Amino acid sequence: MIDDRLLIEQLSNPKTQRRAFETMVRQYSEQLYWQIRRFVLSHDDANDVLQNAFIKAWQGIGSFHGDSKLLTWLSRIAINESLDFLRRQKNIITLSTDDEDLSVANTLMADDYFDGDETEAQLQEAIAKLPEVQRTVFLLRYYDDMKYSDISKMLGTSEGALKASYHIAVKKISEFFKSHD
Amino acid sequence: MMNEELYIKNRLGDRNPFRVPEGYFDSLTAEVMEKLPEEPRKGILVRLRPWMYAAACLVAVLFTATLYLMSPEAPGQMATAETTTTDTYVEDVADYVMADNNDIYACLAGDY
Repeated sequence: MIDDRLLIEQLSNPKTQRRAFETMVRQYSEQLYWQIRRFVLSHDDANDVLQNAFIKAWQGIGSFHGDSKLLTWLSRIAINESLDFLRRQKNIITLSTDDEDLSVANTLMADDYFDGDETEAQLQEAIAKLPEVQRTVFLLRYYDDMKYSDISKMLGTSEGALKASYHIAVKKISEFFKSHD
Repeated sequence: MMNEELYIKNRLGDRNPFRVPEGYFDSLTAEVMEKLPEEPRKGILVRLRPWMYAAACLVAVLFTATLYLMSPEAPGQMATAETTTTDTYVEDVADYVMADNNDIYACLAGDY
């Protein structure tokens, strides 16, 4: 694992930046993939979004001045790409059909790369129904155990607002399952 | 940890229910690097540099022109001074001959 400071220095030098970028991809791609996958759910979509996120990062490398951790900067790009993808997908699905079979839980249960049971699929559906900020903060806190201060830097939202969003998200999900118990 | 969060963790756990095709992460870096453009896009300051030079030139030209036009020797200023002098002279003459505006109009119309 190469230190962020060294990587940032190499990324700012045109002679070493491509090699440094490759090292950065090797270091952080798996972590970013899982962050994206929890948003978009399918492997193929997660792969596409991840590739786009790295292309955006490469194109924006000149505007990164090392004022945050590399992973924070990359996560911000990855989450924005994921949310953009979901907005586009939502428009397509809303326009095409209201089919019950297209529910998130049913789609996941038919997915070869989903190992969970019915309850876990329903949890993903409950998360998918949350508004964007609640969904984002829930995923980053619940699965990645990320600190509010880091999420705040990543999303540009105050810690207070994030805590409130997380509490509301947790409440909604627990109520969803309590009503099914 | 709040009660609801505890309830979700106990009821549903937080294990990752997703998986990836075998060997996916082994080839991911190469796949990403293959799709990258050769050069990253230049920073916004670098891209805007020609426009910044053009704007600086324009400001310099406007500044110089303003200074020139505001100076006492500027042609516009001299014309104004001359007009003022002529107006004062006509008023003095009119006072001397005790002519009012009607007399001046009649004179101009050729009635005198």
